[in-house]
Amino acid sequence: MMSMSKKVIAVMAALVLALSMALVGCSSGTPSTDTGGATDTTADLKLLKEGVLTVGSDCDYPPFISLEGEKPVGFEYDLLEVIAADLGLTLEYLPPQSFDTLITAVQGGGKMDLAVSSLTINDERKESVNFCTPYFDSNQACVTLASSNYTKASDFEGKTVGAQSGTTGFDWAQENIPGATVKPYNQTSEGLAALQAGSIEALFFDAPIAEYQLQTNYPDMKMIEVIPTAEQYGFAVSKDNPALEKAVNDSLKKLIDDGTYAEIFKQYFPNLEPSIK
Amino acid sequence: MKHSTAARALRPAVALVAVCFLVLGLFLALPAHDAFALTTDRTTAKSNEDGGKSVIGGDPTRLSWEGTVGADETVSSITLEFPADCRLADDAYVKVQEIIMDDPARPVHDESIVYTEELTPESLTLEFANGLRANNKVIVQVYGFILPAVSGDYAIGVSYVDGTGASHDLGDSPAISAVAITTTQRIVNWLSEQEWVQAWNSVKFLNIFLNPLWIVASIPNLFFGWLRSIGLVLLGFPLAIPVGLGISFLRMSKLRVLRFISSIYVNVIRGTPLFLQIYIAWFGLPLLGIKPPDYALGFLVLAMNSSAYLAEIFRAGIQSIHKGQFEAASSLGMNGAQTMFFVIIPQTIRRVLPTMTSEFILLFKDTSLLAAVGVFEMMNFAKISVNVSGNMTPYVVAAGYYLLVTLPLIRAISVFERKLAASDGRETPSDSKKKGKGDDKDEGSGENTAPQTKRVGLFKTIAPLSAVDAQPSPGITPEQHDSQ
Repeated sequence: MMSMSKKVIAVMAALVLALSMALVGCSSGTPSTDTGGATDTTADLKLLKEGVLTVGSDCDYPPFISLEGEKPVGFEYDLLEVIAADLGLTLEYLPPQSFDTLITAVQGGGKMDLAVSSLTINDERKESVNFCTPYFDSNQACVTLASSNYTKASDFEGKTVGAQSGTTGFDWAQENIPGATVKPYNQTSEGLAALQAGSIEALFFDAPIAEYQLQTNYPDMKMIEVIPTAEQYGFAVSKDNPALEKAVNDSLKKLIDDGTYAEIFKQYFPNLEPSIK
Repeated sequence: MKHSTAARALRPAVALVAVCFLVLGLFLALPAHDAFALTTDRTTAKSNEDGGKSVIGGDPTRLSWEGTVGADETVSSITLEFPADCRLADDAYVKVQEIIMDDPARPVHDESIVYTEELTPESLTLEFANGLRANNKVIVQVYGFILPAVSGDYAIGVSYVDGTGASHDLGDSPAISAVAITTTQRIVNWLSEQEWVQAWNSVKFLNIFLNPLWIVASIPNLFFGWLRSIGLVLLGFPLAIPVGLGISFLRMSKLRVLRFISSIYVNVIRGTPLFLQIYIAWFGLPLLGIKPPDYALGFLVLAMNSSAYLAEIFRAGIQSIHKGQFEAASSLGMNGAQTMFFVIIPQTIRRVLPTMTSEFILLFKDTSLLAAVGVFEMMNFAKISVNVSGNMTPYVVAAGYYLLVTLPLIRAISVFERKLAASDGRETPSDSKKKGKGDDKDEGSGENTAPQTKRVGLFKTIAPLSAVDAQPSPGITPEQHDSQ
């Protein structure tokens, strides 16, 4: 009897151990084995780990970056992969980070070298971090239920709308819709669920993501206005690491010039022409 | 007929008048529609209230004006006339974006924009070397712009020069509402000029986590969020008590069906995270057509969750009362309900008070989970502040506000426990101290503070019972009164 319960405990302990190892495994990625040769060029990059580019992302922005199982996929993921390969670095993704902590995490240092999450380059954020050169043109979108009678963003005066916490969509709604209550959500997908549930009348987020989400996952919604904010996405890096910023910029320029960028772009946006040149 | 001839004679006159009106109407309508090569889309200012939503006069903000160039038109110059008494910060600057609207679904920057600017506190004049092209949108932003320090509505006057060199006046754009500077903001501004604050903030950690400016700004801002969090728990917890008590009775019922149903309720709620329950309530119920207001749903979910924990606490408390108490009560001729309400429950309350208090603390902290579904409680206020500022200090202030409630209650728990131990004749303060930290919702927490075996108290309780009529609450003995 005693040995029986001991066995049970041993099995459970093994399970817990295996589980915790699996959890650690998913956040640490595959360690690099081949950094030789690249060390000359990357030595002056102040990276958290030698030869590894540690990236933080919200992973909730298809088709830019989202999770497939535990692995991030998407345009931004592919682009960064090529950039990292060009710099002789291995990519390592942190588990999904809350979007509204990304800028502070990059600014504070010690957690990630670079943040990618369809981050709009703007002057407010530039006070905290630096941005690499833009890699995508974007705008804001106003999304409602397909069954609603709203036709434009200004219809929501005094109404309850939503946006992801910390996004330019949130700021836009807060500044431009008089009297509206703007509810913050941790993730855009939570905002979409809230819209579906009727807790908010409209959701404000990036137009390219809205386009994709509405087409693939939310046929019961419609985009009633593209708000021409002409935002541009950029990777956020610490102000203390200008070397990394320059390396990424140089690499991005090279990829745009040699057509690799356009190739990846076409893969995700077959109907569009890349507007970044 | 005479009448008909008169009408016929009048007909050309009517037609003439109608034509006149039509021409006049066209004349009036056309210019209004086409005369301006530029229209104002919106004029706004970014909120500069730390942690708030308003635009404060006398403090730098970011002014934003958006316009659209008409079809087949160009614009070579735009002038924005600012209201009187506006000022510019030392680091004020202008940012102009021209946006190509050829594809309305995908507006993009026009990188080729070339302009010169002349920024004064009175006006901003922009000259576009290549002109703004037809249908394009233009966004003009003035950073470090200071509206007058008196609350009021301020309109920006807009004029422009079109492609032919003709000047046009668009008149005033929609006004921006500004409020007078708040006391908090005044303190923040004063602090930001102090040398020690600047030195303090030059250390990255202190700046990001303990920024004095954000401590001052967050205290009043989070206060209302704090009240809302307290409100949620003050509505939820009292509701959870009777529900929990009822369920604990069902759990001890002689009927198997009732025991079964209540144990499902308790186990499902205790076996799933509150976070998940909140999600289901928020995203699931509305799909069934149930859309209660946020706060109502908030405290109901909290109450439901807490009632399951309280049910177990009460059940353990009641079952910990010695059998002798029931026997003594029935020997005095009390029926089941009388025994429960006059003998058992009064004793139970004393025993479960510490555990109940820690359940209250847990529930208060759990109100923060409601932030995830957009309920405006303290955590959400803090989150918005953090996003606006890129500074973590509001979270630290929020922690302070939570502690303001929880620390005195934690203290109260140990007082309750000491009293309980004393009245039980068990002077073991070290034991009770250990229990005070029972901050986890584990199954045994109820039983811990309500020991299963009890000997003392039988006679104590019986003594006043003999005088049921004289004393309204026979469960509390004179000795216990002394100790309370």
